[in-house]
Amino acid sequence: MGALRLPSLTSLSSAAAAAAPRYHFYRQLCLPLRSVSAAKFSVQSSTVEKEIAATPPELEPTSQKPRLQPEKDRVITPRSQDFNAWYLDIIANAELADYGPVRGTMVIRPYGYAIWEAIQDYLNVKFKETGHSNMYFPQFIPYSFIEKEASHVEGFSPELALVTVGGGKELEEKLVVRPTSETIVNHMFTQWIHSYRDLPLMINQWANVTRWEMRTKPFVRTLEFLWQEGHTAHASPEEAEKEALQMIDVYTKFAYEQAAIPVVVGRKSKVETFAGASKTYTIEAMMGDRKALQAGTSHNLGQNFSRAFGTQFMDENGERQHVWQTSWAISTRFIGGIIMTHGDDAGLMLPPNLAPIQVIVVPIWKKADDKAGVLDAASSVKETLQAAGIRVKCDDAEQRTPGWKFNFWEMKGVPLRIEIGPRDVSNRSVVVCRRDIPGKQGKVFGISMESPTLVAYVKGKLDEVQSSLLESAKSFRDGNISDVSSYSELREAIAQGKWARGPWSASDDEELKVKEETGATIRCFPFEQPEGAKKCLMTGNPAEEVAIFAKSY
Amino acid sequence: MGGKDAMISKDAKSSNAATSSGAKGKKEVKKETGLGLSYKKDDNFGEWYSEVVVNGEMIEYYDISGCYILRPWAVSIWEIMHNFFDAEIKKMNIKNCYFPLFVSSTVLQKEKDHIEGFAPEVAWVTKSGESELEVPIAIRPTSETVMYPYFSKWIRGHRDLPLRLNQWCNVVRWEFSNPTPFIRSREFLWQEGHTAFATKEEADGEVLDILELYRRIYEEFLAVPVIKGKKSEHEKFAGGLYTTTVEAFVPNTGRGVQGATSHCLGQNFAKMFEINFENEKGERAMVWQNSWAYTTRTIGVMIMVHGDDKGLVLPPKVASLQVIVVPVPYKDADTKGIFDACASTVKSLNEAGFRAEADYRDNYSPGWKYSHWEMKGVPLRIEIGPKDLANNTVRAVRRDNSSKNDIPMADLVEQVKVMLDNIQQSLFDAAKQRRDTCIQTVYTWEEFAEALSKKKMILAPWCDEEEVEKDVKTRTKGEMGAAKSLCSPFEQPALPEGTLCFASGKPAKKWTYWGRSY
Repeated sequence: MGALRLPSLTSLSSAAAAAAPRYHFYRQLCLPLRSVSAAKFSVQSSTVEKEIAATPPELEPTSQKPRLQPEKDRVITPRSQDFNAWYLDIIANAELADYGPVRGTMVIRPYGYAIWEAIQDYLNVKFKETGHSNMYFPQFIPYSFIEKEASHVEGFSPELALVTVGGGKELEEKLVVRPTSETIVNHMFTQWIHSYRDLPLMINQWANVTRWEMRTKPFVRTLEFLWQEGHTAHASPEEAEKEALQMIDVYTKFAYEQAAIPVVVGRKSKVETFAGASKTYTIEAMMGDRKALQAGTSHNLGQNFSRAFGTQFMDENGERQHVWQTSWAISTRFIGGIIMTHGDDAGLMLPPNLAPIQVIVVPIWKKADDKAGVLDAASSVKETLQAAGIRVKCDDAEQRTPGWKFNFWEMKGVPLRIEIGPRDVSNRSVVVCRRDIPGKQGKVFGISMESPTLVAYVKGKLDEVQSSLLESAKSFRDGNISDVSSYSELREAIAQGKWARGPWSASDDEELKVKEETGATIRCFPFEQPEGAKKCLMTGNPAEEVAIFAKSY
Repeated sequence: MGGKDAMISKDAKSSNAATSSGAKGKKEVKKETGLGLSYKKDDNFGEWYSEVVVNGEMIEYYDISGCYILRPWAVSIWEIMHNFFDAEIKKMNIKNCYFPLFVSSTVLQKEKDHIEGFAPEVAWVTKSGESELEVPIAIRPTSETVMYPYFSKWIRGHRDLPLRLNQWCNVVRWEFSNPTPFIRSREFLWQEGHTAFATKEEADGEVLDILELYRRIYEEFLAVPVIKGKKSEHEKFAGGLYTTTVEAFVPNTGRGVQGATSHCLGQNFAKMFEINFENEKGERAMVWQNSWAYTTRTIGVMIMVHGDDKGLVLPPKVASLQVIVVPVPYKDADTKGIFDACASTVKSLNEAGFRAEADYRDNYSPGWKYSHWEMKGVPLRIEIGPKDLANNTVRAVRRDNSSKNDIPMADLVEQVKVMLDNIQQSLFDAAKQRRDTCIQTVYTWEEFAEALSKKKMILAPWCDEEEVEKDVKTRTKGEMGAAKSLCSPFEQPALPEGTLCFASGKPAKKWTYWGRSY
């Protein structure tokens, strides 16, 4: 196993390494909280688990496997104590992802990947409905392409991964592993677009991209990540602007309706605009620690790339013009946003619309006599729900107690749990529990297990969970945005960990000064603007818009 | 800035032509009116193929040799196959996941036989930004060595088994042999399944279940006949126990194509990567593993088998556009009436679940449109002109055999369904017939050599010895490339006692297909 003890493997991402010592500290703190259930588990736990419990701390250099945190030891650092440790614990314990073999990379495990698939399924349909076709561009881009758009190369060059050797030979030209595809797309658009009849050209691709980042965090920032990138070319600036707005609107609806994340949609400041874009629209989400997460962006590229690449068309008057372009993307980072928006001390909390498992059925029996009846009922409930298109799983494993299963599936964020015991079987009913409302309050007894009633009830409950997740995220967000009218108020709000919203018309330098002094950046000029005259919080000059400042991921 | 831009773009084009060795027959500028192919499939297959993938808008050549741009027309076919296969493996309880693109060199080199097979083709990242990496990092040529350390970590007890994972991703193999779009490219898309079981029986069973899905992709979706069989020791996956394959054949070139493979890896990787579990008796045991993959190569095989001198011919099941409706207005005709009829035809077809569109462009003649959509291989064309309008009929023309049918509007959906089903079936039947006439059974070396020179797919009795296969390769080396074993079919013809190996003269053990291959 020596091979696995490479520097590249053991020097895990900085965030993770920092979290590790704290983790062991909190594990001890956490134990009393769960001592009752822990005792119960130890009776039931398999030898395998004991083995793991007996192993030395996982990050010890002698550890032979690429592991960061224990999997079976399901204790999660409380969110309020250490948000970052909590986040990493959830990712490990809910089996969303694991660290990759190369520093800063990530293995997306089936449960995490299923969330990405749900995101893909929704967006892919929306992209097609809005007239986009999928295609696939090569991953390798000649370095000379990247250099063509000056601000683009400036923005990306420190993060580029370069391939210089292939098939045992030094390559003639170094190749860039795509960090984004504007350059290669434009290179091809130049060959495909001749006349106005070829426009608009609207494509999308689902792909992996690479940015050699130094500070990484699973899902939020990794060397390689998955995303979709849309690229379009239009005959007029108006059309390009309309497209850029249309796509940020698709993202906004997705965030609200599917992910239950009440993002703030707006325009980036000049400083924060994408390298090579004229305008960048963004959706900004507030995480549980009140930091902002840029969850999706849509760029109006103007003619910046078409001028650099000579992407021209003959217009209806027979004149040659450069095309007007957009690009837009959402990535696996969004999964990090879902975790950090909804999760709590018990673990992950998934919005029903994106949850790989919407309902977990847990059969409960003590006496051997009851077992068959309970299992039968559980599996028929499962089939009833499945037939109605609900994503449901029945956990009938015998080596685990019901209590263990409750905790486990709560930790995995499954929105609804159905419990079925012997008494329920004789009553032909089930107990339904909501993940988002802990304890008895979220529990409803005596729901009929007959198909039409049960299906309607469960669907209704899933909808309720979906909208109540959105509502509580909304009130959290709104309670943590302060309206400020001076720089001192801004500093105070940021110091309290809040988002600061205030009128802004100051210079780029002053924006950078705010960043330097407070750590906050302009997240966006929100589309939703208060009415009335405004004065810049920094300069006192008239301001047209309010901006939102926040610390961000 | 404008003048400079123009120069840059010219430079890009000329360097394109110079560096892209794969871009044979590529025209400098795509002509809008230059429909039709300049090469015939039977006369110059290689040039025909290079041209048809570009003119059919499947592929665009790119500045980096061996890398191709997959255009929407190709990606939509990939998506249709993806949807089928993904749903089937999910029914089998196989889960999707995603492992990193980057592999550290030590992990890559862990399995010796395995890496010997791939090492010469690896692309290496050596720099990030301006700084040199301490250790170069490889880009995955396949993911066995990336994934299996995690299998070792995740698998503890028998309850963790089976572990059945799949991923859809890109892989890179930096080959220098002649790149061919879809068939051999330096970056390609694929799915790779990796599974671990407690017993060999379970692993064996899955190998065949997956192989059957691959057969269905080829035969039911792409209408390409394949032969299921087992690879020889020499041709099997490096580091595995045995390899099963679906083999296709391209009659024009007389070459076999490994369509997709499903490998049983045995316990070799489990040993190297320490993938152990505690079985029900509390003993430590090693897992049994499989890996299996199909790639964008499938699309290339389909093009080669079905395409003709007019362009692509797409089987209806994978065509992103199954029916193209072309209005045929005349000077004095009721143009609006014709356009309305086209719209309602498209609407009825879409509602019935067919993928149909109308081509209303006014800057192209109907004749141009016919050629255009024939080039793109749309299975069925519906023409609506004044006469059709008057008779309340439409004219349907099949892409595969050009046969014309007048269909009453009232029977539209029903008849289109029948026609598309027929096209799908007859593409398969025709391909099978062509393939079958290429299969030749031989018993001696002389017969073998002659059949090979006639570009046959050769079925021969074989002693199943690796040395003999190597010898066959040496003896057939030539301009066209050496012959090798393609597979030993699962369906074995009778092998009477005393039958001798065609190559060694030793007693034969099995029937095996031989030929040149891609």
